Amino acid sequence: MFYLKAHAAIFKAYLKIMLTYRGMMLLHMFRVVLMPLVIATAWLSIEKVDSNPYKNSDYLLYYLLVPLVMNLTNSRSVFKFPVSVRDGTLSRELIKPYPPLMSIVIESFSNNLQMLLYLVPFTLICTFLFQSHLDFSFLSFKFFPIFILAVFFGALLRMFISGSIALTGFWLEDVTTLNLLLNGSIWALLGGMIIPVATFPEKIRHIAELLPYRYMLSFPIEIFSGKLTNAAIYKGFSVMLFWTIVFYFTARFIWKRGIKIYSAYGG
Amino acid sequence: MFSQLTIITKLWKASIIQAMEYRGSFMFSIVANFFDFIFGLLQYLVFFTAAKSIAGWDSDNMLTLYSVFMFIYSLQFIFLYPNIAALAEMVNTGGLDLLLSKPVDARLFILLRKISLEELGSLCTSIVLFIWLISKGAVLITAQSILLFLISIFSALTIVYSIYITLTALAIMLEKMEDASEFIWSLFSFCRYPTDIYPSKIKFLFFTFFPIAYISTVPAQTLSGLGSAKPVIYGLIISIVSLLISSAIWKKTIKSYTSAGG
Repeated sequence: MFYLKAHAAIFKAYLKIMLTYRGMMLLHMFRVVLMPLVIATAWLSIEKVDSNPYKNSDYLLYYLLVPLVMNLTNSRSVFKFPVSVRDGTLSRELIKPYPPLMSIVIESFSNNLQMLLYLVPFTLICTFLFQSHLDFSFLSFKFFPIFILAVFFGALLRMFISGSIALTGFWLEDVTTLNLLLNGSIWALLGGMIIPVATFPEKIRHIAELLPYRYMLSFPIEIFSGKLTNAAIYKGFSVMLFWTIVFYFTARFIWKRGIKIYSAYGG
Repeated sequence: MFSQLTIITKLWKASIIQAMEYRGSFMFSIVANFFDFIFGLLQYLVFFTAAKSIAGWDSDNMLTLYSVFMFIYSLQFIFLYPNIAALAEMVNTGGLDLLLSKPVDARLFILLRKISLEELGSLCTSIVLFIWLISKGAVLITAQSILLFLISIFSALTIVYSIYITLTALAIMLEKMEDASEFIWSLFSFCRYPTDIYPSKIKFLFFTFFPIAYISTVPAQTLSGLGSAKPVIYGLIISIVSLLISSAIWKKTIKSYTSAGG
């Protein structure tokens, strides 16, 4: 009923495919860790304004966790689905007795999981190298399960946002630019990639807290670092759940409308 | 050589005609890239709400760096990127074998056969930002600074071209380069900030063996009054050396290439 055997078989197949291209995985890991490292270096070289609440150790811990959380909440469906519409692979998926979008989701999940093989050692080594510059006094293990939950919902939210963008591939020839704008630039600005959300000026921070982007990156890290009060965590989860539901229904709506007009490429 | 350039021009024309088949999508891409540029600009502005300066670069200097960076980035995206994005398929389907058997310069054709005008929005906006910085008096305009700027832009473009040649060789070796766009984006992420932010050893690396300092930092320095003529001259020499090394890597890769699945 839940296609568990099929899910497991597809998951295994994708793991094997990815292991065939180990060199590419290494390059992929390089991509994931590079930008946070560059930004962390930039933050460590700034002359801070007085109102900035982050110390150097805060920036270091934040950007050590960015690659891990970014990878765990990543969704690759936005690149795969439009291709399946264009090359007709979707037609083949539609006639299978299996949810047509599930293999794209499982591929993305297995990719993220496999990246942990590189990212976890990288983060541990960096933590070891910079341990004297890090301040772990804020860390509390009681926040760890909440952190995992925040990462899970962050991943779900990103999957639905990316899915909604990917599904516009029914109408658009190429969704890369739309993704770059809605899922790339705004996410980098308001999600906490370039600037930790906690260091935003107050008005911009309030806006960022109401939008979905913060919950896919900055929010889980802020929980892990013990920087949020219980009230802020509850509020954060409420906003995150709200956006997850909104984008779930958005994706469903686009799928239903799209599948009605889909006639296979050139059909 | 002239006949090869004529063929490439015709291929570019074909690319533009192909893009124009989906006019709505094409126009949307240009507008979206314009907004992408604006969001990039906002990132710098928000950055300076928490920082007074980055390694001695104030907000005007950083905006000069951003306009130079986006100018180079847009140019590579228009002329070079569409080709490397399609390379993995070319290798896997045997299209590369076919190209290698043709009486043309394979490297030139692999790197320049397609063109994408989607980044025109960012290119134009980077030029507008640059003009605004000049009118604001935030950019140093003298005969010497303009000359040094033009030389450093030439060096930057040559280095980017060399990086693409090396990446092309890597794509042929790995047979899978689907993430080239993000990889190049990551590579260029080094250029979004001045190399002065890095520790001296890494900075040395960026000025010598991995010469990304010459892509945006050095050109921006010539107009911000933060540098001297020395790095510009070094940049010119290093860009020529990069071109020679990447050409050697390319030749070696093609020599050992044994066709898809070979």
